[in-house]
Amino acid sequence: MNRSRGKIRPPRRGLATDHVDFDEYWEVLAQSLREIYAKNASHLSFEEVYRNAYKLVLKKHGDRLYGNVKKLVGEHLQMVAVNDRRTVGTKFLERLKFVWEDHQLCMGMMKEVLMYMDRVFCADHKIPSIYVSCMGLFRDHILRHPEYNIGNALNSVIMDQIKMERDGDIINRATIRACVYMLEGLYETEEELEDQKVYLTSFEKNFILASEVFYQKEGEQLLRDCDAATYLRKVDKRLKEEYSRCHDTLSVLTEPKIMKVVDQQLIDANINDVMEMEGSGLQFMLDNDRYEDLKLVYELISRVDSEKRSLKKKMCARLVTMGKESSATIVSEEKVANNITLVAIRWVDEVLALKDKYENIWERSFDRDKGIQAAMTRAFTDFINDFDRSPEFISLFIDENLRKGLKGKTESEVDAVLDKALTLFRYIADKDVFERYYKKHLSRRLLMNRSVSHDAEKQMIGKFKMEVGFAFTGKFEGMFKDMNISEEMTSEFKRLSQESDNNYKKGVELSVQILTSTFWPVGGGTSDHPCIFPLEIRAVRDSFTQYYLDRHSGRRLDWRPDMGTADVRATFKGKRHELNVTTYGMVILMAFSELSSGGTLSFEEIQTITSIPEQDLVRNLQALAVAPKTRVLIKKPMSRDIRLTDVFAVNEEFSSKFMRIRIGVVATNRAETEQERRDTDEKTERYRGATIEAALVRIMKQRKLISHTELVNEVLTQMASRFNPDLTMIKKRIESLMEREYMERAEGERQVYRYIA
Amino acid sequence: MSTTAPKTQDENSVLLVSNDNHTFILRKSSVMISPAIKSMLDKKSNFEEAQFNRVVFKNMNGVVLEKVCEYFYYREKYRDATDVPDMEIPPELALELLMVADFLCT
Repeated sequence: MNRSRGKIRPPRRGLATDHVDFDEYWEVLAQSLREIYAKNASHLSFEEVYRNAYKLVLKKHGDRLYGNVKKLVGEHLQMVAVNDRRTVGTKFLERLKFVWEDHQLCMGMMKEVLMYMDRVFCADHKIPSIYVSCMGLFRDHILRHPEYNIGNALNSVIMDQIKMERDGDIINRATIRACVYMLEGLYETEEELEDQKVYLTSFEKNFILASEVFYQKEGEQLLRDCDAATYLRKVDKRLKEEYSRCHDTLSVLTEPKIMKVVDQQLIDANINDVMEMEGSGLQFMLDNDRYEDLKLVYELISRVDSEKRSLKKKMCARLVTMGKESSATIVSEEKVANNITLVAIRWVDEVLALKDKYENIWERSFDRDKGIQAAMTRAFTDFINDFDRSPEFISLFIDENLRKGLKGKTESEVDAVLDKALTLFRYIADKDVFERYYKKHLSRRLLMNRSVSHDAEKQMIGKFKMEVGFAFTGKFEGMFKDMNISEEMTSEFKRLSQESDNNYKKGVELSVQILTSTFWPVGGGTSDHPCIFPLEIRAVRDSFTQYYLDRHSGRRLDWRPDMGTADVRATFKGKRHELNVTTYGMVILMAFSELSSGGTLSFEEIQTITSIPEQDLVRNLQALAVAPKTRVLIKKPMSRDIRLTDVFAVNEEFSSKFMRIRIGVVATNRAETEQERRDTDEKTERYRGATIEAALVRIMKQRKLISHTELVNEVLTQMASRFNPDLTMIKKRIESLMEREYMERAEGERQVYRYIA
Repeated sequence: MSTTAPKTQDENSVLLVSNDNHTFILRKSSVMISPAIKSMLDKKSNFEEAQFNRVVFKNMNGVVLEKVCEYFYYREKYRDATDVPDMEIPPELALELLMVADFLCT
C-alpha cells in the first residue's frame, strides 16, 4: 500500500513457514499452461495459477520456474514446427500467420499469470521478461529452425508474391502483412533494439537487393521498348505501387529504402537517356508543350536531384538552340527581305513567343521552380546577347510600336506591349548599344513627328528609368525637353517677328527644333552639310540665329538642312498643291522656281546652285523626278538612276488628286546598313572607352592607392548595368591613363596603382 | 469455485471473496488499480474470474480483504487530489497487508 513500490518486501522468514515443494507446484502450473495452449483457459482460475507462480517465486524458485516455462514453450514450438513443415506457398503464409498469432495470444496469457515472476524475479535479476524471451524462442525454434529454415522459406515466399504483384498478379496482401508484422515483432536479441528487428536484419536487406535487380532489368527493358512519356508514366506508377506496397503489404520502415532503389534504378540511371530519346524526349516535350510529361520529368528529377541539374542543362540547351535558330533564319531572311523593320519585329515576336512558351511550361510543369527560372533567364541572356543585332532589333520593335502599332490601343494594351519590350531589354548585356539605337530611333520619331503618343513615349522611358536608373535615360529626357523648348521658341520667334515685322517675310514660316548636340545622335555641324539656301530662307534663318544668340550668349547654332522638312506651294495645271518635301528638296525646287517656264537644269548646275552633297542630292532628285506618284520634275533621259549627266525640268503635266502631297526621300533603310553598323560599333567602342576611363579616374580619385584586381573589379561592377566591358579594354585604358600621368604604379609593387593628383 | 456460486450480473461491478467466504461487491473501476486483478478480469484471456466477474482470494481472510477493498475506494476517491488524509491501518494488520499488496502488485 505504499506508492514507492518494490521498496518494501514482505518478510521472507516467519510468515512463510510452510514448505513449498517445487515439483508439486510446477506440475500444477505446467498443466495450467498446457491448458492455456489448448485454449481451455475458461476452466482455469487465474487466481490459483497466479498464486502458484507467486509462491514459487516467493520461495526463491524463480530461476527454476523461469527455466521450466521456457523449456515448456520451447517444446511446444518444436512440435508446432514439425507439424507445419510441409505446407507451401500461400497456405504456408496462412499457417505461419496462424501459428504466430496463436503464439502471441498464449504468450500474452502466460505473461499475465506469471506477472509476479516478471515483476519480482526478472526485474531483480535483470533478465528479459518471460514474454520477450519466449518471443526469442519463437524466432529460434520456428524461423531459424536448423532443419526446416522456415525464415528463409518465408522470405522467398513473400518475395515471390511481391514479384507476382509487380508483374501484375493479384496477391493476398493481408496475409503477407500479417507475416511482416510477425517479423517486425521479433528482434535479434532480447534487448529488443529498434534497429535489430528480424524484419530489418533478415528480410528487408534481401528484399532491397532483389528489388534492385528487378528494377535494373526493368529500367533497361523500358528504355528499349518505350518512348519517353511512357517510360515516365511507368516509373511514376512504380513509385506509387511501391509506396502503397510499403503501406499495405510490407512495412513503412522500408518505404524510404525501396523508393531510393526505384529512384536510383529507374530515374537516376536512365533519366538522361530518357530525356534524350529521339522524337519523344525532352526536346519533343518542350517543342510540343507536353505539360503533363514535363511535369513528370520535373517531379521525377526532383526526387534524385534537388537542383535538377540535368533538366536545367538540357532545357536551356534546347532554349538556346531555338533562340539561335530563329536568329539565324532572321539573318538569312534579312538578306532577301528589303524591310528590315519587319524582320526585326518578326525576331522580337519570335523571341517573345519563345519566352511565353517557356514561361508557360515553367508555370504549369515546373512548379515555378526558382532555380529553373534562373537557368531560363540565363539561357535567354545567352542567346540574345549572342546575337549581335538584338539591341537594334529590340529598339526597332519599340520604334515600330510607338510609330504605328499602338494606334487605337487602350492604355493597358499599350502597357503590355511596352512591358514585353522591357523584358527583352532586361536580357541585353550591352545596354549602351541599345541606348545608342534607341536614341537614334527616338530622334527620328521626334523630329519627323511620327510618334503616336507622347504619353506612351514617356511611359517607356519611365520603365527604362525604373529598370536601370537615371543615367541611362537622361539623354532621352533631354531630347524631350529640347522638343518642348523648340516649340516655345518657334512660337515666340513668330510672335516677335510679327510684332516687329522686321525681317519677317510673309510666305516663309519657320519652325525650329533646337537640339542639344550631346543628347541627339546627330554628328557633325554645318560644314558637313553645306547648303546654299535661297535668299528669302536665308533671311529668316539669319534672323532666327540672331534671335537665338541674343537670348543665349556663348552658344553655337548649327543648321541641319539634311534633317528638316518644308511645305512648298506650287501650281500645276491651274491646281494648287502643297508639297511636303525635305529641306533639301525645297532648296532644289526653289532653284527651279527661279527659272522661266520650260527651263532646265543639269545635275551639275543644281549642285552648283545648292551645293547639296552629292549623295543627298541624288536621293532627293530620285524622290522628285523618279518616284511615279510624286514626279514633279522630269528628267532626261528617263531612267531609274540619277546620273551626273542628267538634265531636269519642271513636270508641267504633273497632276494628283490630293491637295497635299508628301514627297518622301527614298527611305534609307531604317535598320542599319553594314557601313552604319560598323560606325555604330566604332562609336560604341569609343564611348565605352571614355566611360571606362571616367570610372577609373573616379575610383582612383577616391581610393588613391588600389591593387589591379580590385580596380578592375570595381570597374566591372560599376559598368554592369550598362555593358560588359572587355578586360583588355580596361587594361588599355589604365595604360593610357598612366601615359597621360593620371596614375602611376606604386613603387616596388607592380600590381598597385597610385592616383596622381 | 463452481458455476452455481453467486455472481453479479452487473458488468460494472465485481465480487471479491475471501478465504472465509466474506463477499465484497466493488465497482470494477476501483479494483482495476491492481494489475493482477485487472489481468484476472481480462475478457480476452477469459479465465474463470473474467467469466463470472468474481475473484476468490485463497490467501486473504475477510478482515484483510475488507482493508484491501477500503484501500481501493480510498485510492480511487483521492486519485488526483492533494492533501490526502492518511488511511487508518491497524498495526496488527500491517504486515499481512504488505504481503497482500505485493501479491496484488498494488
